[in-house]
Amino acid sequence: MNRYSLCLLWFWLCIPATALSAQVQRDEAKTLIVTTWGGAYEAAQRQAYFAPFAQEAGVEVRLKAYNGSVDPLRRSGPSGGGEWDVLDMTEPDALAACAEGLLAPFDPRSLRPAPDGTPARKDFLSGAFLDCGVVHLVYATVLAYDDRAFPGEKPRTVADFFDLQRFPGKRALRRQPIALLEWALLSYGVPISQLYDLLSTERGMTLAFRRLDRIRDQIVWWEDGSEPVKLLERREVVMASGFNGRFFNARVNDDIPVTIIWDGQFLDMSVWAIAKDSPSRTLAESFIGFATRAENMAAFAHLIPYGPTRRSAIARIGLHARSNVPMLLHMPTAPLNLRRAIRSDSLWYARTEAVRQRWFRNWLAQDKGS
Amino acid sequence: MAAPTGSYATGSQVLYRIIALSLLGTVIGVAVSLLAIGFVECVVWLNDRLLVSPRTRIQHEENALLVASATLLVPAAGGLVVGLIFRYLVPEGRPLGPPDTILSVQTRSAPPSRRSGLLSTLAAIVSLGSGASVGQYGPMVYLGTLVGTLSNGLRLNIPNVRAIAIASGVAAAISTAFNAPIAGLVFAHEVILRHYSIQAFAPTTVASAAGYVVANVIFERPPLFLVGFEGVQYGHEFFLFAVVGVLSALLAMVYMKAILACGAVAARSPIPRALRPMIAGLVLGVVALELPDVLGIGTETLRFATIEGAFELDELALILIAKMTVTVLCLGFGFAGGVFSPALLIGILFGALLGSAMDDLTAIAHSGVVPYAICGMVAVTSPVIGAPLATILIVFELTRSYDLTIAAMVAVVLANLISYRMFGRSLFDVQLRGRGFDLSLGRGSAILAERRVTGLMHGDVPRFHPDDEIRTALRRLGDCGRSEGLVIERNGRYVGVIRAQSCLAHRPSDSVGEATDRNALEFDESTTVWQAMEALRGFLGEITPVVSTSDRRLLGAVPESTVIDAYLETVNRLRREENESV
Repeated sequence: MNRYSLCLLWFWLCIPATALSAQVQRDEAKTLIVTTWGGAYEAAQRQAYFAPFAQEAGVEVRLKAYNGSVDPLRRSGPSGGGEWDVLDMTEPDALAACAEGLLAPFDPRSLRPAPDGTPARKDFLSGAFLDCGVVHLVYATVLAYDDRAFPGEKPRTVADFFDLQRFPGKRALRRQPIALLEWALLSYGVPISQLYDLLSTERGMTLAFRRLDRIRDQIVWWEDGSEPVKLLERREVVMASGFNGRFFNARVNDDIPVTIIWDGQFLDMSVWAIAKDSPSRTLAESFIGFATRAENMAAFAHLIPYGPTRRSAIARIGLHARSNVPMLLHMPTAPLNLRRAIRSDSLWYARTEAVRQRWFRNWLAQDKGS
Repeated sequence: MAAPTGSYATGSQVLYRIIALSLLGTVIGVAVSLLAIGFVECVVWLNDRLLVSPRTRIQHEENALLVASATLLVPAAGGLVVGLIFRYLVPEGRPLGPPDTILSVQTRSAPPSRRSGLLSTLAAIVSLGSGASVGQYGPMVYLGTLVGTLSNGLRLNIPNVRAIAIASGVAAAISTAFNAPIAGLVFAHEVILRHYSIQAFAPTTVASAAGYVVANVIFERPPLFLVGFEGVQYGHEFFLFAVVGVLSALLAMVYMKAILACGAVAARSPIPRALRPMIAGLVLGVVALELPDVLGIGTETLRFATIEGAFELDELALILIAKMTVTVLCLGFGFAGGVFSPALLIGILFGALLGSAMDDLTAIAHSGVVPYAICGMVAVTSPVIGAPLATILIVFELTRSYDLTIAAMVAVVLANLISYRMFGRSLFDVQLRGRGFDLSLGRGSAILAERRVTGLMHGDVPRFHPDDEIRTALRRLGDCGRSEGLVIERNGRYVGVIRAQSCLAHRPSDSVGEATDRNALEFDESTTVWQAMEALRGFLGEITPVVSTSDRRLLGAVPESTVIDAYLETVNRLRREENESV
């Protein structure tokens, strides 16, 4: 209930922001600037969404690289998010940006009904509609290992990731306080249902960082989502965190021996949102409408195993476009993979961004000191 | 002799009772489980709104002033509300809890009014919601009692139905609270009913299972406590678990005595009753500014205690002492809540302290801090609530670990033995003894100790004046077929007993006063049936006078046979209840 009342508040906060965005500079009818996360994910989006949309609407879709966080949106100009129209954001970032009035309010009525006529409101999974966007896919940040590095016993659990004795070698982690604190605490045997309660205390944070200390010298940091696979392929690391779709792609399309550890997979959502100052609001809305059509979402899911958030799209998921692997089995939401999943608490994430970042920076700084 | 109620049911009655009791168990189980979940949800909701739970506190971490002022003011404000509720709305003037449930079931008396029960539950929600360091299971047990007493309005015509319904409610409450149906069932028998009749066992089991189904299958409530444990690796550790049990018993006694003493101090203090919880809340707030672990139930701290290295030794000791102090203060100064959850936390911190100290100071091989923490947790809790079996089963159902259960069993059994000998069966029983109900010699004596002989008085006894002649006395005794009469002065003051045998030693013209036995056994208005039974041991007379203590006036007389009848009636009723099949 809290969430809804807060969302309502944000909604009203966002109204004056939209009124200000009237100054239109760009030739809005011709180009749409969309952010994307690069690599195999971008390739799949290009094939399923960007190219067909450009053709259908007769516009140019220009892509901008974005690696998460709300910071770029706060900066205007070419280096920041000043020119962006459509954003593909994680749910916590979208909630935080919406709360700061950096996103345009979103009207779910602009979404198309399912092919059988079911209205979008019923077709999307519950909780998919936010005040500033629509949740369009479920992805997972997972741990994976290079199969060549462990010819004998294979790592199976999150605790194994922190076990340098049984599984020695460098580990790649994203240079963000996302998922890694949860994993660190999980490796103590804390039940998943209590993770966020414990991580909310200073003691929990300290314990998590203490566990990270154990592997501090072995960490290779990455920022761009395509790096973990490259690091594993070049044998620079033996284990890495990364997005499940990229690891799938590496193995199925590029034949790199990467295996996903589903234990402690960190589920998160991706959101289509429109920037507050976007000069092409209408075009942006029609793009989101296009990209959330059931058949387009399913086409995307045939390229990379990220779960669509509408029922009619899930019903259309079949085999991988190139290798004929059944895609449902590789989705983070497959029942077998879901058994030990961490469902990220987006609201907690949105509101603890500052404190998590501060703790993380301090911990990184200790590194230089020692 | 009065026939015991509910004797010898016929075939159709048996069928009716089986169906009615099963339905009763199911309905109570579902209702209590839903209410218990609602109770917990209300507390969580308040904790979130009032910045008590760590999960919301960290979300406002930037605003340090807000968090600090909430820490200071919320428990005090909650305390004021609770104080006002008990001062002006609840006639008992104190929170209701397991002792009231036990008393009602054990002495077959009606529990306090529904209104008091509801208000007490509300006060518990406010207390827990505002972060008071009290337990949630006591109020949940009383919630089960409240639902159980509703069965009284049903006219089911089944003997002992109120006690059975209350026990079912309590079983469902514990089953829901801990996700532990077997422990719920055993708790109801061990703490509330204190006997194992099939008649009570069946509906209690049904209610416990129904509570579990609602909590687990329908609502999918997460388990309270999950801990991974590889198993006890060394045989000598069982000796160490026993040591943990002994030390925990001592700590449990300190905890219980401190609660009783703090209550007594609060009662004697000049602070008005309505303001006492607020004072405790203020102290709690000040402590929590430095040590937020002491706020509320402390689920997070409970979990951390089983993680190796989560606390330093001195930190463990500090939190243990702080938690115990604020809990004693909160309970003694009138916050509404139980003693169970704080005992779990105090115990687990103590166990972790012993485990870690052993690790740091000695070279004894052991299997980590987990079994010691768990042993400490249950060995402190079990003497407090007087339920060794139920606590052992809670460990089993929460951890599903056979090894941990055996370890806990060793610690619990010693802790209970020591505390039983040196303190009493449980804090509840000692509290009841303070209120004048001693259950330590069994419920029969408690019931008889509540019944006064004034209710058994008989008016049909020959009465004489001291200056009556003995021959008159003998004639009148002969006329009514008695051998004893009472001697009373003209102003109604009692003098003594006159017996036909002693008259024979005097001349017929002597006065009655000369033959009167002035030291005969006598009762007064406060004498209970239990005391009367004790006094009648070796007594050879027929009747015993009941004399007012204030002015020595005769109130009446009690024939010996009436006291024995009353005793037998109670004993038979209890025997029948405790052996009833349906």
